[in-house]
Amino acid sequence: MTGAAALLAVLSLGTSAYPQARQLELGVESFAYRSATTPLNRDNVLGLDDYPGLGRLAVGWRETHGSFRAVFRGYVERTWGTQGDETAWVVRQGYAQYWWGEKVGLRLGKQRIAWGSGFAWNPTNRLEPPKNALNTTLEQEGALAARLDWAPAAWASIVLVGATTDATPRDLPLAANDVERRDSLALRARFLVKDTDVAAVASGGKNQRTLVGLDLGRDLGWAAVHAEASLYEGAEMHPPRDDTVFFRVVAGALRTSGENAFALEYFYNGEGYSDRGTSLWLDGLDRSWTAATDPALPPEIQQQALQAYALGAAIPYAGGLGLRRHYLHASWTRGGATSVWTGAVRTVIGLEDGAFALTPGVGWAPRGNVTLNLDAVLLLGPDESEYRLAPVRGALQARVKVLF
Amino acid sequence: MSRRALLVLAPALLAVPALAAPPDAATILRRADRAVLGETATYTLRMTVVRPGKPERVVEMKGWKKGDDQGLVRYTAPAKERGTAYLRSGESTWLFLPSAEKVVRVGAKQNFGGGDFSNADIFRLSLVKDYDPTLAGEESVEGEACYKLELKAKDRSIAYDRVVYWVRSDGTFYPVKADYYTLSGKNLKSLLLSQVKPIGGRARPTLMTMESRVDEGSRTRLEFLTIQDDPKLDDRLFSPTALERGE
Repeated sequence: MTGAAALLAVLSLGTSAYPQARQLELGVESFAYRSATTPLNRDNVLGLDDYPGLGRLAVGWRETHGSFRAVFRGYVERTWGTQGDETAWVVRQGYAQYWWGEKVGLRLGKQRIAWGSGFAWNPTNRLEPPKNALNTTLEQEGALAARLDWAPAAWASIVLVGATTDATPRDLPLAANDVERRDSLALRARFLVKDTDVAAVASGGKNQRTLVGLDLGRDLGWAAVHAEASLYEGAEMHPPRDDTVFFRVVAGALRTSGENAFALEYFYNGEGYSDRGTSLWLDGLDRSWTAATDPALPPEIQQQALQAYALGAAIPYAGGLGLRRHYLHASWTRGGATSVWTGAVRTVIGLEDGAFALTPGVGWAPRGNVTLNLDAVLLLGPDESEYRLAPVRGALQARVKVLF
Repeated sequence: MSRRALLVLAPALLAVPALAAPPDAATILRRADRAVLGETATYTLRMTVVRPGKPERVVEMKGWKKGDDQGLVRYTAPAKERGTAYLRSGESTWLFLPSAEKVVRVGAKQNFGGGDFSNADIFRLSLVKDYDPTLAGEESVEGEACYKLELKAKDRSIAYDRVVYWVRSDGTFYPVKADYYTLSGKNLKSLLLSQVKPIGGRARPTLMTMESRVDEGSRTRLEFLTIQDDPKLDDRLFSPTALERGE
C-alpha cells in the first residue's frame, strides 16, 4: 500500500455514511455578447467587436474517501473580439476537506463560501466575488480560504473562515479590473430555533469593510421565506464614505408546486446611488471623457482624464452587488431531478431606474451524465438605466457538461 | 393445566389474534409506522418516475432516518444529480444544490425529485405524529385482510387533510394502501406498498408506488434496494451543516 493510499484508508475509518467515490467532469462554456457604445464605453474605448465572446474548456474532479474529500474545478479561457484577446487559466475551486465525525470539519484551499439565504444577492457574504444576479446558475470563482466548521449540536454550528481573494466577476468580455487583494476573517454562527434558521455573521479585514449580519429562514407552508441583512461602515463602491453606516437587506420567498418553483426577492442596497448620485456620477464621466478627448489639453492631462474615466466607468462592477438601491428578482423554473428538459425565466428589475434584465433559459439532459444549458441575457430599460449603461446589450450563454 | 399442556397450547393461543378484539387505531398506526423502517435506519432506494408517453426516468439515492421527523436523502445516480440532497428535521426541509454549494430551505409539500411523492411523504415515514387515527373497519385490499384506518390531520400545515390507510390485520401490520385527500375532499393520489420480501434481515414491503389521481397514468415507484435497521446515527447528521459538507 502506498503512503497516500494508507493515509486515505486511515482517514476513511468509521465513515460508512460517506463512502469512496470519484467524479470527473468535462465542460465547454461559450458566452457570446452583443456590444454597445454607452456612457461606460464612449466611442468604444473598450475596443469591443460587435460580438465579443469567450470560450472555456472546464474540468472538474472530486474524490471522496470516507470523511476526506478533494475537489478541483477550473478552466482555460480564450476571449475574442476584445482589446486584449488572451488565454487565461482560472482555478474556480481547489481544496481538501476532512471531517472528524459529524462534529468538526476543516477545508483548506480555494473554495466557495456560499453562505447566506439570498438567491441572487448575499449581503452577509463578502468573502468571495458575488454571484451574477442576472444568471445565478453560472459557477463563480471561490476564494483562497481556511474554513473550520464546528457543530456542537444538531441545532447549532459555528463556521470560522480566513480568506483572501482578488478575484472579480469574470463573466463579462471585459478585462478584469485590478482590484486590491482583500484579506478577511469571518465568523458565522447558525442556529435552528423553533424551526427557524437563524445565523449571525461578523467579518472584516484588510481592504474589507467590517460587517455584521443576520440571516433568517422559515417555512410558512405556502412558501419558504428568508431575510438576510448586513450593517457595515464605509462604502464598497466609490466614493468611500468612510463614516457612514450602510445597510443591505434581501428578503424573499420560494414557492414550489409540482415541478414548478417560483422565487421572488427584494434587495435594498444602502450604498447604492440615488437618482442625484447617479446624475453626478454620469456628469463626472462626461467631464472626464470630454477632457480625455480634448486636443487643446496637454497629453498628460488627457491621459489623467482617461484614467479617471476608466475608474468611474468601472464603478458598477466594483461593488458587485448593484449600482442602485432597490432591486426585485423574480424567477420561475420548471423541472426536477428526473426531468429531461428544464426551463427557467429570471428577471432582475431596478425599481428606481426601470432597468430590466430578462434571462430565459433551457436545460436538456439527454442522458444521466450529460447536461446542456442555454441562457439568453437581455438587458433592457431606459437608456440611462443601470443595465443599459453596460457596454453589452445582451448575451447567449451555452454550457455543456459531461460527467464520468 | 400442566406445564406440558401450556407448552402445547401456547403456539395455538398466539396464532389466534383474529379471534381477539383488534388493537386500537393508534396502536395499529404505530406498528405500521415501524413495519417498513426501524426507529433508525439507513437505506438505498431506486425511484422511477412514470409519465404517459415519456420514457421512464430513474434516480437512485441513499437515505438515513432517525425517529419520526429526521431524515436525509442524497442522490447517488444519475451522475448529473449526484450530491443533491434533501434534509428534513422537525418541520424544516432543506435542499442542498452541489453545483451552487448552497443549502436552500424548501417547503415540505414540494414534490420530491420531480415525482409523485412529496418531501413530506418521503421524510414523514411516521404518520402517528401528524394524524389522529380512527378504526373504520376491516376489509380486503389487494388480496390482504386489512384494518381500515381514517386519519385526520392534526393541523392544516400537514400535507394532506385526510388519509385512508389500510394495514394488514394478520399480525404483521404491513401497510398495504393509502389514499390521500385534500381539505376539499379530492383524492390526490394513492400509495400501494407491495413486494413483501426479506431485506435487511426481516420481511417487509419493499416497493412503494404512488399513483396520481389528478394526472392519469402518472406514477412513481420507490424500491428499497437495501435497508439496515437501527444503526447508531448522530443527530448532527440531520443538520444543515452536514448537508452542506456534501457526500
